[in-house]
Formats: sequence, structure tokens, C-alpha cells
Amino acid sequence: MIFDLELNNVGKVYDNGTPAVIDFNLSVSKGEFIAFLGPSGCGKTTTLRMIAGFESISSGEMLIKGKRMNDIRPEHRPTSMIFQSYALFPHMTVRRNVGYGLDVKGMAKAERDAKVDRILATLGLEDIAEKKPDRLSGGQRQRIALARGLVVEPDILLLDEPLGALDANLRKAIQNELKLLQKTLGVTFVFVTHAQSEALALSDRIVVMNQGKVEQISPPHQLYTRPNTAFVAQFIGNNTIFQGEVDGASDDRMLVSTPLGQLSGRPNGTLSARSRVNVVIPAEAIEVHPAARVSREQIAHTVGGNVVGASVRRFDVVGHVSHLTAALADGRTVSLEAHVDKYQPDAFPVGADILLSWQPGEATVIPA
Amino acid sequence: MNASGMKLSLGAYTALFLVFLYGPLVVLAILSFQTGPEGGPQFPIIEWSTYWYKHLFGLTPPSRIAPLPIEQALVRSLGLAVMTMIVSTVLGVTAAQAFRRKFRGSGVVFYLIVLGMMVPGVLVGLGMALVAKTLGIDRHWWSTAFVLHVVYTFPFAFLVMLAIFNRFDPSMEEASWSLGVTPARTFRKVTFPLIFPGVLSAMLFAFTLSYDEFSRTLFASGRDLTLPLAIYGTFSVEVHPNVFAFGVLTTLFSFALLGTYAALMMLSVRRAKRIAIQEEA
Ligand SMILES: Nc1ncnc2c1ncn2[C@@H]1O[C@H](COP(=O)(O)OP(=O)(O)OP(=O)(O)O)[C@@H](O)[C@H]1O
Ligand SMILES: [Mg+2]
Repeated sequence: MIFDLELNNVGKVYDNGTPAVIDFNLSVSKGEFIAFLGPSGCGKTTTLRMIAGFESISSGEMLIKGKRMNDIRPEHRPTSMIFQSYALFPHMTVRRNVGYGLDVKGMAKAERDAKVDRILATLGLEDIAEKKPDRLSGGQRQRIALARGLVVEPDILLLDEPLGALDANLRKAIQNELKLLQKTLGVTFVFVTHAQSEALALSDRIVVMNQGKVEQISPPHQLYTRPNTAFVAQFIGNNTIFQGEVDGASDDRMLVSTPLGQLSGRPNGTLSARSRVNVVIPAEAIEVHPAARVSREQIAHTVGGNVVGASVRRFDVVGHVSHLTAALADGRTVSLEAHVDKYQPDAFPVGADILLSWQPGEATVIPA
Repeated sequence: MNASGMKLSLGAYTALFLVFLYGPLVVLAILSFQTGPEGGPQFPIIEWSTYWYKHLFGLTPPSRIAPLPIEQALVRSLGLAVMTMIVSTVLGVTAAQAFRRKFRGSGVVFYLIVLGMMVPGVLVGLGMALVAKTLGIDRHWWSTAFVLHVVYTFPFAFLVMLAIFNRFDPSMEEASWSLGVTPARTFRKVTFPLIFPGVLSAMLFAFTLSYDEFSRTLFASGRDLTLPLAIYGTFSVEVHPNVFAFGVLTTLFSFALLGTYAALMMLSVRRAKRIAIQEEA
């Protein structure tokens, strides 16, 4: 099978010695929507620019449709890039901007015009086709940039935080449009963002990066349920992490001794006996019980021993959602929320002792 | 200081600036309408006349005052200024383009270039004369002087273009490449139209600086004089109001140049629009 895009041990060291990307491996199938997600400075833009050809590749190999691209100039790569600043040409009308990439292809004028018209219509830009981009709104300019990048029919569309400059509402709307457009056209998208919600909402797979390295490549849901590393567990979602030591295994459960007692969860990765591990528990998996009404023993056997004591630090109700902040014995806090019917204010006065429990299948044990 | 006081002092400052800028010119302009040929370059105006303007163009009956020997000098100066403008602007644009990427020794090269506008002109001129003599090269306005004019004006063009490129968003060029357009075509279609106002400014700088350059030209131009040298030469004999008349005409020429510059500037904005419409049609 030939992948649309392959990165094999790709690395980038800038001239000043900054190692920006280290041993990047990724294979992308045609029509996939891939997001690069990670904190500022982790190397997302650098990787995208290497794919586009704006930065040289220091080590490793990059293939598009099986063809090595390392030494191919940007204009000869079947990629097209959308910039956060949109980089529209201010001296051309919207129509000229969009048609720009077709002018050099030696295409008959009629065919070119038809293509431009079609993409303008697809993105709802017909009415502003004769305007200059600098008089238009952020959302409109975003769409022009998309039209300009897509009209040349790239194999891969590269997007560097394309929604970053838009306000929250518009971002949501364009996000949906983008997803629809991508599915309709079947073009492979590689999308850089540091907004979790964006990556989770849009992509088929997410590449989580940290300090130039790939931490995990997974479908969005799996990043929640099966984080591979402590970094991913902290970066994605709202997880509580307990450090401990492997005690043993039973069935597909790993037993871990922690300062808060023995916990169990599903192992992820190779874990040897007595090795240091992290137990990751998503906030959504945690059940809260008032200690005044139920005892630890009553719950423990139903949740594989996953019960820890805590106390109510804060309790607020916003609309129909209760927000509960629980303080653990070691001083850390866990933020939980649920429908107000489930967490009733009178059951959780501030300072009351509570028990937190979760099913072992919901917890993930990963190497420390 | 309160706001109105601030305004007042700024206004006064501006007024003073304008007086010093245009005061000498106004005095010159008034005296250029002195009667001739007996009227001298001083007040009072004996009688208003356009005698000295006619005298400039040889339209007056012969008198003891010789016509200004500037006709050929003017042609030379204009030619030199145009040549200098073209070469310096091209060099300035390409050098600034090269400086967009850091390269080894770029700091040193930068200061070497900028030095060209800092070193005293008399010294450079003298140096050039000595070099020419040593090497046995003839000095001409179009050879040795021309080289010095370029060395002098190129840094101005370079700095203007550097400032322009500084504000230029390089992702615009990258966007063009990623749409399949070669760097050469990208420069023509995207980069150049966007830096064009800067190029015009660089041209204006190079032209005006070369047009009235004196100290470098003095030693480096050889026998044939440029306009500033020719005018200076007439002072050493006796000053007549015909020099003032000529000054007025040159100033008008400068204004015309500025007007052309402004018009071209506006045109460059409109042109893009028109091309877009034409190519659509
Ligand atoms: N041209 C450059 N020269 C030297 N170092 C660079 C250059 N560009 C980026 N870097 C460094 O490389 C690292 C990765 O940068 P990159 O721009 O890829 O991060 P990013 O993940 O896109 O961050 P952000 O979310 O802030 O955009 C950073 O440490 C950055 O300082
Ligand atoms: Mg970035």
C-alpha cells in the first residue's frame, strides 16, 4: 500500500543548533485528517514546513505517494499550505488570488475560470470575488486562503493553525465547514494546532508532540482512553495520575501499589514487576460517594479496589452542572463535574469526607 | 505641558522649519525677477522683469554678462543621475533581497556597504583621483565619477529596501511557491508589485543625491563638469541673478520629480486593480 505521506525518522536541527524535531515517524493514508497537537515550541510548524519544503530536512526521509521529497523544491511538491496569517496577495482581487496557482499551469482560460468559479461557489465567495482581500473579514479571508490552496488540487493540504486568528464562534462554524469540505473532497489534511478541542473535533488521528518528539499517534478517543505516556495523560483531557510500583497482574489487570493504597487498571506498554508506573484516571470515570452514607468496603469489591478517600474542597452549581473539587490525602485536587441531579449540593457540603472510585477498565497503567 | 500648549509649540516648530526650508528659495525667486542686465543680485528690486530667464536661454541681446555655461553640464548631470539611479536601485534591491537571509559575514558586509554613504566625499573623490592617476585611467563623469555616485547612493537604496523587506511577510512568497509557482515568477508577480513603492523611493533617493552631488564629483569627474560644478564655477567670477533664475527652474524641476513620484506611487496601487480587471475581461 502506498501512503499519501510518509515521514521516516525525520529530524530537524536549525542552523543555530536547536534540535526542533527528533525522529518523527508517521504514515498518512489518502483522505485522512491528521492533526499535530502539542504545546508551543514543540516543533509542529517546523514539521509542517518540512513537508511543504520551506525548511530542509536534516535527517531521515519524507515521501509523498511513495516518491522521495527531501530535495524537491516547494513548487514541485503536490502540497499546498494555508498560513495562520492567510498570506493573501493584497494587490490582487479575491478571484485573482484564487486563480493564481492555476495561471502557471498552462491551462486553457475557460477551464481555469470554470475551476475558480466552482471553488468560489463551494466556499460561498462569489459575491466578494472582485474585492480586495484587505477589506474583508477574518472568516472570509480564511475561506479565500482555503479556496486558493484547494483549487490547485494538491494531494496534501497543510494547515498551520488556520483558525487561530478567528474568534471563538466563527472558529466553531469554520471548523465544521472544514471537516465537511475535507470529507467531500477526499484530500489529505495535515493540520497544526495547539487547541485540543480543535484537534479532537476534526481529526481522524492526532499526533501529540512534545519537545520535538512524537509522544503518541492515535484516534482522538484513544488519546483519552489509552494514553501512552504521562505527558499525553496530562496534556489531553482531565486526568488524575497516581505514581506507584507494579505489584503484580491478574487477568488483564495490573495491580499497582501507590501511597493511597493498591489500585488496578489496564496496562499499556511493557511493564515489568516492581517497575515504576503511572496510573491514569480520566475525570469522567470517577464516581463520588459521600463517606457518611457508604463505607469503603461496600464499594471496593465492585471497582477492583479502586477507592481513595478525599474531602470536598469546593462545590459550585452553574446552571444544571455541579462542579466539585475534591482534595486528595496528598494535597492534590481533582476537578469533577456532573449533572446537578447526580451531585446534589446537600450531599456534598464543603469539608465533608468523600470516596472516589472508578472501574479498573477505565484506568490505564503506563510506564513512568 | 497641556495639550493646547503642545499643539502651539509643535505648530511653531513646523512653521519655523518651513521658513528655513523655503525662506532662501523665496528670496532667490524674488531676486530672479530683478531687471537686467544692470540689476544686481540684491535688494531692492529696481524693476520687475523676466530678463534673467530670457538671458538663460540666450533670448536677450548680447551684453557684457556671458550666458551661464550650463547647457551641457545639465545634460551630463541628468544622464549621470539616471544611470546612477538605475544601477543603485537594482543593486539596492538585490542586496537587500540577499540580506533577508542571514549569511556568514553579513554583519561585516552590511557595515562595509553603509560606509559608502558615511565617508567624507572629498576624501573619496581625492582617493579616486589618485587611484585613477596611478593606474593611468582617464577621469570622466561617466566613469570614475559614476562609480563614486553609485558607491554613495547605493547604500541609501539598500537601506530603503531593507526597511521595506523588513515589513514584508515572507509567507506570501511561500504561499506562492506552494501553489506551484517558481521563485523567479513569484518575484515578478508577488514580491515586486508589493515592494514597488519602496523601489520608487529608492530611485528618488539615488536620483536626487546624484543630481546635486558635489564633493565626490569635484575630483573624480575630470574635465567635463556636471551641473553643480558648473554653477559653482560661475560664482567664482561674479554672481548675477541669472543663477537665481536657474535655481528657480531647478526647484520647479524637483517639484515635478516629486509630483511624478507621487503619481507613480498612486498608479502602482491602481495598476494592480486595473490589471486584475483587464485579465478578467
Ligand atoms: N528559523 C528558526 N531558527 C531557529 N530555531 C527555530 C526556528 N524556527 C523555530 N525554531 C525553534 O524550533 C522549535 C520548534 O518551533 P516550531 O515553530 O516548530 O514550534 P511550534 O510547535 O509550531 O510552536 P507554536 O505552537 O508556538 O507555533 C522552537 O524551539 C523554536 O524556537
Ligand atoms: Mg507553530
